[in-house]
Amino acid sequence: MMKNGFFFFIGLLAAFLLGWGGIPLLAHKQIGALAPFYDDGESSSFPTRPPGVAARGQLVYADLGCVACHTQQVRRPDFGSDKARGWGDRQSVARDYIFQGRPQLGDVRIGPDLANWGVRKPPVDAGGIAQFLYSGVVSGAKAVTHPPFPFLFDDRPIVGEVAADALVALVDKTPRRQIVPTERARTLIAYLQSLNNAYEYPEARHVVPVVAKEGAHK
Amino acid sequence: MSSTSTHAEVTAADTAGRWPVLLLLASGLGWLVISGIFALIASIQLHSPTFMSACEWFTHGRVGALAETAFVYGWAANAGLGIALWVLGRLGGSTLRAQNWAMVGTLFWNLGMTLGLGGIATGEATSFAFLELPRYVQPLLVVAYIAIGISGILAWSGRRTEGTYASHWYAVAALFLFPWLLIAAQTMLLWSPVRGVLQPIIDGWYVQSVFSLWLAPLALAGAYYVVPKITGQGLPSYEFAPLAFWTLLFVGTMTGGRHLIGGPVPAWIPTLANAACWMVLFHFIVVALNLRGALTGGGTSLAFISFGLLAYLAGALLDAATSFRGVAVVTQFTYFTTAQQQLALYGGISMLLLGSIYFAVPRLTGRPWTSGAFVRGHRVLAMVGISILVGSLAVAGWIQGTELSNAKTTFGEIAARTRPWLLAVSVAQGFLLVGNMLILANFLRSVSGVWCAGAVSQVEAFRQPTTMEVHAS
Amino acid sequence: MSTPLHQDPRLDQAASTDESLLAAHDKLLGKQPDEKGRYKLPPLHLLFFFSGLIFFAGTYLNRYSGMFDPRVYNENTLPPSGETVVAKLDPLVLGKKQYEAICITCHQASGLGLPGAFPPLAGSEWVAGSDDRLIRLVAYGMTGPMTVKGVLYNGAQMPTIGKVANSQYNLSDDKVAAVLTYIRHEWGNTGAPITTDQVAAVRSKEGDRKPYIEAELLKLN
Repeated sequence: MMKNGFFFFIGLLAAFLLGWGGIPLLAHKQIGALAPFYDDGESSSFPTRPPGVAARGQLVYADLGCVACHTQQVRRPDFGSDKARGWGDRQSVARDYIFQGRPQLGDVRIGPDLANWGVRKPPVDAGGIAQFLYSGVVSGAKAVTHPPFPFLFDDRPIVGEVAADALVALVDKTPRRQIVPTERARTLIAYLQSLNNAYEYPEARHVVPVVAKEGAHK
Repeated sequence: MSSTSTHAEVTAADTAGRWPVLLLLASGLGWLVISGIFALIASIQLHSPTFMSACEWFTHGRVGALAETAFVYGWAANAGLGIALWVLGRLGGSTLRAQNWAMVGTLFWNLGMTLGLGGIATGEATSFAFLELPRYVQPLLVVAYIAIGISGILAWSGRRTEGTYASHWYAVAALFLFPWLLIAAQTMLLWSPVRGVLQPIIDGWYVQSVFSLWLAPLALAGAYYVVPKITGQGLPSYEFAPLAFWTLLFVGTMTGGRHLIGGPVPAWIPTLANAACWMVLFHFIVVALNLRGALTGGGTSLAFISFGLLAYLAGALLDAATSFRGVAVVTQFTYFTTAQQQLALYGGISMLLLGSIYFAVPRLTGRPWTSGAFVRGHRVLAMVGISILVGSLAVAGWIQGTELSNAKTTFGEIAARTRPWLLAVSVAQGFLLVGNMLILANFLRSVSGVWCAGAVSQVEAFRQPTTMEVHAS
Repeated sequence: MSTPLHQDPRLDQAASTDESLLAAHDKLLGKQPDEKGRYKLPPLHLLFFFSGLIFFAGTYLNRYSGMFDPRVYNENTLPPSGETVVAKLDPLVLGKKQYEAICITCHQASGLGLPGAFPPLAGSEWVAGSDDRLIRLVAYGMTGPMTVKGVLYNGAQMPTIGKVANSQYNLSDDKVAAVLTYIRHEWGNTGAPITTDQVAAVRSKEGDRKPYIEAELLKLN
């Protein structure tokens, strides 16, 4: 077979098609058309579409490469400490991501998981996130543990009143300057605050494995 | 092939067909150094987050993408294609054809890379692993690749002998399969994106396929040629080589889902990947058995190849070991997976390619490498660097994984505890960067010697090879 | 040249020619050069090893793949068999949710209402009394004065809650039943739960009508 060029190429093509068909195409057939789940009790379907600001914020998240250090997938409660850390009460499922333009699942946790950042307890407000992104210091800590993003902020003079979301406003100095989040920072913060996978889909309900009795046949 | 070439080591085919291969190898080595600079910056940022943080182009996420892209599509692609073309040309027995196509293709490939890296730095990365190059560059890569690949396919189809050798299979498979992979991934992720979590699933398939169907075959094509060439003995377990080849191709791509254990995907995807990790071990064992002659041989090329072979095998064993969910719960999402990837890409593929390069370049330029000190220096720095890199990342990852499982530990504490190991990683990246600069300098000096002095080959430096004896098992 | 083989790091010497390499390995595969040949049977130990790996992989796949069903996210489970039945939510949970969404603003979380403005539900004879009366009161709403626990309330109007004309909330029958079951169960109230069928029967009997007044409701049993 190795000598006959034609069969060799057929074999190569078969190898590619088996791999491509086996995983991408089969997965696509199974979950490519997942629809939102309508909950009669809530009279609403889940997941909800993120607001436009949040969708633009996801593009900022993607272009800054935040996925290099953060995941957005919660593992089930008996597989790791995700639930104990308050990252989510249930495993993330495929339906959580159907309205995200470019899901940023991530595969390293140098920083915490962000899948449910919008519904963390205690909630983090926009000003706190902005401060964190600017300085890279977790509130209450001393050392810089996160890359600071000063380029997401404008250092500009104060004209008239101080901006409502200014991080720092030097009103007494001359010239009067303030540090304000740029449009990109605002959309990024809106995106982070929109991250919410809290709804319990039927397929996401935690299953406690039952020990089968001897001779039990499923 | 002329009648005299059966006795001379440097053939007319080599001297006439040298420039495409040398151009590819030069590009590859250049990108290796550039990738090393980015990797060094990224590794420094891991323990000192404020390093270069004011510059948006070098924020950690982007510089990591730059390093990865320059490594895979700059270094590994160029060097792998160069070695593949060279091996196909040599085994084909005639001068490489379509050389102009290959050279133009290489130039456009590197032009696309430069544009693409600029795009990543300014924030147009696609955020898909191994596919970070911006959309506008991707079609250019496909076309440039096909131009380069034509030369290789013609060398194979125009070969003088009826039979084929393992290097043929691997090189042709790599040349043929990569455009399919790239186009499939581009279509499903960039041009007509699939929905939701299918994107990471397909990206995982693509990353694994790039390794199993493209980079590993390119590296193995070179290694399968160089090892028996230097040792002068037939490969011991060659009867299994076809089966090992097909196992890699059919089973290797399925292992991509192992990074999605416990993830928001149907459970069969990581399960299938774990099962495939075990099945594909057969390929790695057979390759190790076949190329074990490199372990006892001497010289620079075999030293690099044996290191690469051991790393290649160790990477597969580690993948199989971490496929168990009891282990994955600790190692997933940590530096440990980074260590595995570096072991496979840097320790395995790169060292195998470097071994082939050390053997090939003297035959292409017709003279030995210019500086023996640089060769020795690179060898030490590369081996020490990779060992420290992989070891430190693995230890840091293990610490990180065990600390993460304890819900009370904060990320600041984890950062403090892994810091010494991350400093070691930066040191290792520094070693590797210096080593790669040595080989680049050595290469440029050798090539400039050819350029300036003309194509006069110092054939007397090369011994006359003898007929290989077959030791049938 | 007297330098021993492999001593010079700048050059590795080749030991064999390309043609002999190709010919030798063709022979190893059991073929003569330029002849379409048969293959030698490879040694069995590696084949056994490969079979062992395939067996392990197959067993693993069988055990942990959830039968390749996309609804299985936990590899230890099997796909759900039979039809998927939408689990009925506990009426108390559902009713509490509705109460907190709609009723709580007037009747308060304590069920005590606001003296002079909104009547209490705790201990109210309207809640504990006839089912028909209660369902109509909530589903269609009420206008005009009413007496609850001896106190006259003549302020706000009880809004129309059920799925009828001019309703502000259009709660489905099971939600109305749930919220009524909830208020009959809370704050020390006792009373039989209200079922969805009861609410549906009332709605089909009454059709669309304007909100009740106290006199009409008191005429019912």
